[in-house]
Amino acid sequence: MIETIYVEDAIQNHPKTKFILNKFKKSRIISINKYGEIFNKRNQNFRIQKANPCLILAHKKDNFVLPAPEGFGIGSSKNFYFSHMYNCIYDCRYCFLQGMYSSANYVIFVNFEDFDISIEKIIKNNLNTKVTFFSGYDCDSLALENVTGFAKHILSIFRKYPQIEIEFRTKSIQKEPFLSLKPMRNVILAYSLMPELMSNSLDNKAPSISKRIRVISQLASKGWKIGLRFDPLIHGENWKELYQELLENIYNNISIDNLHSVSFGSLRFPKRMFRDIFKLYPHEPLFSSPLSLNNKMISYDIEIEEEMTSFCKNLSLKYINEGQIFKCSI
Amino acid sequence: MNNLKKMKNSIRWVVALKEEAQVILDYYKLKPINEKTIYPIYKNEEETHWLIICGIGRNNAAASTAYLYSYSKASIYTSWINIGIAGSDKGNYGDLYLVDKISTYERKKSTYPSTMPKSTLPKMHLFTSDIPISDYTSYELIDMEGSAFFDIASKLTSKEFICLMKVISDGPKNDIKEITKSKISNLIKVNLYKIIDVVSYYERISEAEFLIIDKPELFYDIKSKWHFSATQSYRLETLLRRIETFCNKKDIEKTIKNCETSNSVINVLNTKIKNNLVNWSKF
Repeated sequence: MIETIYVEDAIQNHPKTKFILNKFKKSRIISINKYGEIFNKRNQNFRIQKANPCLILAHKKDNFVLPAPEGFGIGSSKNFYFSHMYNCIYDCRYCFLQGMYSSANYVIFVNFEDFDISIEKIIKNNLNTKVTFFSGYDCDSLALENVTGFAKHILSIFRKYPQIEIEFRTKSIQKEPFLSLKPMRNVILAYSLMPELMSNSLDNKAPSISKRIRVISQLASKGWKIGLRFDPLIHGENWKELYQELLENIYNNISIDNLHSVSFGSLRFPKRMFRDIFKLYPHEPLFSSPLSLNNKMISYDIEIEEEMTSFCKNLSLKYINEGQIFKCSI
Repeated sequence: MNNLKKMKNSIRWVVALKEEAQVILDYYKLKPINEKTIYPIYKNEEETHWLIICGIGRNNAAASTAYLYSYSKASIYTSWINIGIAGSDKGNYGDLYLVDKISTYERKKSTYPSTMPKSTLPKMHLFTSDIPISDYTSYELIDMEGSAFFDIASKLTSKEFICLMKVISDGPKNDIKEITKSKISNLIKVNLYKIIDVVSYYERISEAEFLIIDKPELFYDIKSKWHFSATQSYRLETLLRRIETFCNKKDIEKTIKNCETSNSVINVLNTKIKNNLVNWSKF
C-alpha cells in the first residue's frame, strides 16, 4: 500500500499519471514542483523510508537511454539501458540501489513517449549492429508492471525491430503482459536467482525462488526466451550443494530450447557504496562474509570468485552451450 | 567505558505556548530545569524527553529549536516534535492533524515533512505566516512557527524523525479572538491519547536508530586495553560489527586475548572474518 503519492505539477494531467493514480484511490496526493524536492535530498533516512516508501510521479527531461557499463552484456556489440523508474520495491541486501540514492521512495517517469523516441533513434542509428537494450537498470523492470504498464508499452517498439534485443531483468513473478502476448524472439525475460536458503535471508520482500522458477517454467513453455542471472554469486556454508541443487532444479524444469543465456556475476561493491550500505545494515549477515578490499572494490577474494564461477559454469555446461554463458563483471 | 549516559530514545518538543505544552508536561512528567535559560526548558528524569517553550513566531521557533538542540545535546537519532494550535476552514474544530507539506509567503518552494506510517490521523498542508491571518480560504492549516521549526530540525536530523501536529483552534466559525488559555489547554488535552500514540512511534524509531549506530559492546573494553589510532578505531568498530553477527562476546575476547598490539587485534579479527563461512540456514 502506497500511502503518499507526490505528483509533479507539470504532469498532473498526463494520461499515464491519471492511469497510475487511478490504481491508488486511497493514497494521499501531494503536488510538488520537481521530484528533486522530495527525492535524493540530504537528511533522509533510507532505512526508515524503505519500510514505507512513497511514490513520486515525475517527468524525465533527458538521458532516456544510456550506454550500458562495460562488462554488462549478453553478447551484443552495443548495449544500452533505460529506466522508467528509480528504486525497487524489493529490498535485497546486496543491491547497489541501497547505496545509490539517499532516498528509498520510488520515482516513476510517466513520459514513456520520450523513451520511445530515444530508443527508436538509437535503433535507427545502429541498424547494422547487434544491439541489446536492458530495461530497468535502476529498478526491477517488471515488479511494478501492474501499476505502470511500461513493459507492455515498450514491447510495441521492439515488435517493429525483431533484430534488436531487449532484456527485462527481474525478480518478480509478474507474468503479464507476456502470458497474453505472442512470444517475441528478440525479448529476453531475465531472472535473478540464488539458492533459496540465501534468498530467504537476502532477497527481502521479493518472491521466493521456487515461485520465480515456476513462472520461468510457464513463460518458457509459452515460448518466451529466458535469461538466468546468477548475479551475485553468494558464498557460505555448503555453497556448492546449494548452487548444484538450484541449477539442476532450474535446468530440469524449464524448456532448455527457450533458454537464451545464463550469466554469473560476483558480489562487488565500490568501496564508498559498501560503507554506506554497511552503515545502514551493520548487523547484516552478508557483511560477515569474507569480503575485503580488492582493486578498489569490496568483494570476495579472487580465488573464491573464480571457484564459484567455474563450479557453476561447469555444472551448466552439462545442459547448455558455452556460447550461452556470460560473465557479468561490473 | 563511555562516560556518557546512554539513553535509548530521545525526544525533543518545540511548543509555542505554555498552555499548549501543559498537558504534555504533565503526562511525560517534565520538570523545569534548574538553570537560567533563554527559553523555558523542561525535561523528564531520564532525560529522554525535553521540551522548550519557544513563544510565537518563526524567529522564536527557529532560535529555540537550535537552542534546545545545543542545550540538551540532542543526537542524530533524536526525534523532534512540534505541536500547537492552528487556524483552518477545511477541518473540524478540535481535530488533530499531521502536517505533510509546509509553505510560506517568502519561499517559492514548499517543504515536505514525512508523517508516521499507517496512521489513521488526517493530514493537511500547513501555511506558516508571520502575521495572524483572518482569511482562511486559501490554506488548509495556518500557524506561525511550523516552517521555521521544520527548516532547523531538518538540519539536525533526518526528516523521518520530525513531526508536526496541529489542533484546529480557529476558523470562519470560531473567531481567533475567542481563543483563551484554558481553551488552548483543553484542545490539546482532548487529543492527548492520539498525541501519545504518535510520539510512541517516534520513540520507537529513535530507539531503533540508537541501537544501530551504538558502538559494539566490546568496543570500549578493547580500546581500554590497547592503544588504537583514529583510523584503527574505525576499523575495529567495523570488524566488531561484522564479527558480532556470528561470534559471541566470549569468543571474541578469547580470540584476541593473546594479542600484544592494536595491530595484532585488528589482524586477528580480520582473519576471523576471512575464515567465516556464513551459515545461511541461521538467518
